[in-house]
Amino acid sequence: MALASTWSVAFAHPVTGWIVLGAVGALALGAVIIAVLSAAGRLAPALRRELWLRLGSWCLLVPAIILPILAGRVWVIAAVTLLGLACLGEYGRATGLFRERFTTLVVVLGILAVNLAALDHWYGFFVALMPLSSGIIAVASIPFDEPRGYVQRVALAVFAFFLFGAALGHLGYIANDANYRPLILLLLLAVGINDVAAYVVGKTLGGPKLLPGTSPNKTVSGALGALAITTVVVTLLAEPIFAGTRMEALPLRIGLGVIVSVAGQFGDLMLSSIKRDIGIKDMGVAIPGHGGVLDRFNSLLLVAPAVFHYVGYIVGFGLDQPTRILF
Amino acid sequence: MDWKLRPAGDFGLSPRERLASLRRELGFLGTATHWCWRQFVRLYLRCFHGLRVMGREHLPEPPFVMIANHASHLDTLTLASVLPLALIDRVHPIAAEDTFFTSFATSAFAAFAVNALPLRRRATKRADLATLRARLLEEELVFILFPEGTRSRDGSMASFKPGIGALVAGSEVPVVPCYLEGAFAALPPHRRWPRPTRLKLRIGPPLAFGDLANDRGGWAGVAARCETAVRALALDDRRI
Repeated sequence: MALASTWSVAFAHPVTGWIVLGAVGALALGAVIIAVLSAAGRLAPALRRELWLRLGSWCLLVPAIILPILAGRVWVIAAVTLLGLACLGEYGRATGLFRERFTTLVVVLGILAVNLAALDHWYGFFVALMPLSSGIIAVASIPFDEPRGYVQRVALAVFAFFLFGAALGHLGYIANDANYRPLILLLLLAVGINDVAAYVVGKTLGGPKLLPGTSPNKTVSGALGALAITTVVVTLLAEPIFAGTRMEALPLRIGLGVIVSVAGQFGDLMLSSIKRDIGIKDMGVAIPGHGGVLDRFNSLLLVAPAVFHYVGYIVGFGLDQPTRILF
Repeated sequence: MDWKLRPAGDFGLSPRERLASLRRELGFLGTATHWCWRQFVRLYLRCFHGLRVMGREHLPEPPFVMIANHASHLDTLTLASVLPLALIDRVHPIAAEDTFFTSFATSAFAAFAVNALPLRRRATKRADLATLRARLLEEELVFILFPEGTRSRDGSMASFKPGIGALVAGSEVPVVPCYLEGAFAALPPHRRWPRPTRLKLRIGPPLAFGDLANDRGGWAGVAARCETAVRALALDDRRI
């Protein structure tokens, strides 16, 4: 009985079921395609191994992403917290910020505070943490009386807190809305489609490079193709999600799609810029076949706050839910 | 201004490779585990072995290398425990790869508790010694190593191997000779659990080898002088 009611809550909105089914179906389809191509002898052994590795990683990633979203608000915020800390770990080791142990600890506390504010449903504190944490990061290392490297230390740490705390934290805050499941799933799906579309369209159409100095494989056609495809997917799926609200209007839904695609692509380019500047290829080795956690979730970092404030401005989040529930 | 983006020395390696990497760098989680281990070891050495130390004032500013006679697993723990807390992340005992880095569990312990770096004992690669030497100088580290190369099986000190020379010959990095008394009686290689006998550590004045060339002849000279210094400490009969 309890299980049945949990199930009905988790899948209360039809879009939730569609996206979960679609994700599971996509994994199964991927396995079938690789198996058929392998059986037909169309894949070189190295490529075959690489494809199975990637699919295997997805088979772990998809449940790791979907289950917290289905499970409930607290799980979503906990998962976002862990994701933020994992990203900070990779970023710190790539940039060298990890050597500044105390400053890193302050960023960790900042990320925890942002997610605690989301858990408490305390919007005032949630938005106040960007200036407050940045201020604390700026002064935290001063008492050690080591001004050498101060600017680098503070700049790297404020950037890290912005990306993995303040910005990513919006994804968890969305879960304070009673109807958060289909929207978060839509964002994750759209960001994934955005990446794939840019790759596939770019490979198919070719043409001039987008920003070869930053990311040599991206093309203008891929960027525009991703913009078109992602906008269509978001516009269509947003209709049942926002039925009966101001967001239902077609231009607003198209606007949402454009924001997801543009912010997603800029998130990707931002991580490319970081990697290019440092001179590394991947941010880590956490996900076999993908690289680091950040290589997988980079697009989400800027999408979360952009979508949050767009939708928040038009319809608001969790306005009918209790606030300040922890303290 | 000091503006340089430098990834971790062991960046891009798998977790297993990282643990056994000579370029391993840990973050604040590593600092936390090193601190806990240090507190435990210091308490243990004080309560169970009544450790006494003479010559702490000889410890220089990093970088430096600490050497001693080797008769027990207690040697590394004792030498590391007398160094100041401020050096906690910079102290690296150099440990035998074939003993301490054979499995994931022992490697994790060696990395997160002891902060040891692995070295192959037989057919030591020259590139590995060069890596250690470069890190010692550039990152101002502290290495703890035992130039005998293995624990004494009868308590007597063996002659020193020249590998220590490859780390310090021709540089201004000081070597601090130490002599630890009582470790063989407490936990010799053939015993599994330690006996509660007293440990006495004598720390001698630092040696420098800027006058010796960084070649085979220089390395042998370093090893000979280090051995003489440690033997002299062994004969020191002042009470501590």
